Amino acid sequence: MSEESEALFRGLSDAVVNLEEEKAVELAAEVVKKNIDAYEAVDKGLAHGMDRAGRLFEEDEYFVPELLIAADAMYAGLDVLRPHIKADAASEPGKIVLGVVEGDTHDIGKNLVKIILEAKGFTVFDLGRDVPPGDFVKKAREVGADIIGLSTLMTTTMPGMAEVVENLRAAGLRDRIKVMIGGAPISSAFARRIGADGYSANAVEAGELAARLLAETRAAGARAVAV
Amino acid sequence: MARDLMTPVERAKALREGRPADRIRCVPSISNTAARVIGVRVSELRSSGETLARATIATYRRFGFDSVRVFTDLYVQPEAMGSKVRVPLDETAHMEAPAVSREEEVETLVPHNPYTDGPLPVLLEATKRTLDAIGHEVPVTCGVEGPFTLASLLVGADNISRWMLRKPELAHRVIGLAYEASRQLADAVIDLGSAPNITCAMSSSTVISPRHFREFSQPYLKRLIEHVKGRGVAAVGLHICGKTAGIWRGMADTGASCLSIDNMAHLDEAKAEVGDRVCLMGNIPPSEVLLQGAPAEVRAAAFKCIREAWDSPCGFILASGCSLATETPFANIDAMMDAAREAGWPVRPDILATEA
Repeated sequence: MSEESEALFRGLSDAVVNLEEEKAVELAAEVVKKNIDAYEAVDKGLAHGMDRAGRLFEEDEYFVPELLIAADAMYAGLDVLRPHIKADAASEPGKIVLGVVEGDTHDIGKNLVKIILEAKGFTVFDLGRDVPPGDFVKKAREVGADIIGLSTLMTTTMPGMAEVVENLRAAGLRDRIKVMIGGAPISSAFARRIGADGYSANAVEAGELAARLLAETRAAGARAVAV
Repeated sequence: MARDLMTPVERAKALREGRPADRIRCVPSISNTAARVIGVRVSELRSSGETLARATIATYRRFGFDSVRVFTDLYVQPEAMGSKVRVPLDETAHMEAPAVSREEEVETLVPHNPYTDGPLPVLLEATKRTLDAIGHEVPVTCGVEGPFTLASLLVGADNISRWMLRKPELAHRVIGLAYEASRQLADAVIDLGSAPNITCAMSSSTVISPRHFREFSQPYLKRLIEHVKGRGVAAVGLHICGKTAGIWRGMADTGASCLSIDNMAHLDEAKAEVGDRVCLMGNIPPSEVLLQGAPAEVRAAAFKCIREAWDSPCGFILASGCSLATETPFANIDAMMDAAREAGWPVRPDILATEA
């Protein structure tokens, strides 16, 4: 990697973590102009910056507004770079179906999780908020998802989470699709009780959890193939 | 289990004057669970002042807690100012869409009129009826939204976030408008002889930084509370959800007399930092313990809170960390009240000595 590309990647990462949207766009355009690998610029630049912002969030240096603005910068840069990413550059991304369970319209948490997951390279199918349990399973089947992510702020919707796990089982997909949950009233005890695969306390943890679950699924898949 | 020997008003007075009392004060923050007490649907509380009052009064009589709050959900004020709220038949209402989604629309926002707009007349009527029925024996308050939270619910959390960082003047304009609305509702509540109880969920450090709290929320809360106190209300409660350790001083600086601490923060730390300036209340987990736990767990959690903060210099009220879920079992609310009765006052030494 040339010094020039390295400087650009660092610049992109800094632009995201410093919440500088215009700077991110400007540097992304430079990447394109100089024929530098766009996938690498996303991975080592924009996503790297989002990862740093996520760490600052965990350290209570950044809060929800800062993460949202960092994501604005990341997505603005991504818009410039995306058309130039070569199809074979990335490994097969993990697919995750995400949404807020029916009966709840609080989606700040879910939106943050989406940002973090996209920065981690996941393809996110965002069903939005107030999503009926059946829709999660339907979408997951349709797109061949690895993971379903459920979020809620309201205790009333917690049974809906259990229902998704149940629907998945009924559809015979429970072994293939992991379920992760989060939100203010949720605990790891609740996750265990309803048979979900994991719980995370915040968006950054959700990103790590998803990566772990995906690795587990793929390892299991590889084993299955070997057998 | 021991019965209460004093009314909440008598108890509060005795504690204030350092006289003996029958027990430590206790407030499970009950909202729509009140519908279950009188067997109506949750949505009925929001649509009739008579029903909301009947439910509120019956709930107080059923459990005997120390402060009554007339409250249904956080969305009555946003709704009165044009936000779209969905009201399910038998569940808590929730936000569908903010009143305004673009900067250009901000000019269209006007403070609500508490006597005519949205569900506010229902809230005021319920407050009046509740006050008339039980106001002589228990403090009756009415929920009023903190300006920053109301602003977020009017323009959406995304917008207010972006504007705080990119267009601070615009953010201040919206929050100023929200202040004016909350001030008017507070005045209407005070005119009835009640007191506002202020909740500002979005001020939480789980959402915004302490720096943004100091710039965009605290000054407005302070103005609101100073106004309320200027009108002769002595006790003003302030609740902020989630993490708050970094903003306790700022919360105390608003002039609030009582801070309600969420279960994501620690009572003993709050006591050390601001216990000499404000009464503290908290913080049994509403979901994990009060909704999903058994009475024995509620009792243990209550004693833990009591151990942490019973001797807070300006007073302590055993409370839930946040509003209770509608389906919270009565047995758990009873267990919480009974824990306060068991603790008595001064708190029984063996309860203070036991480890959870």
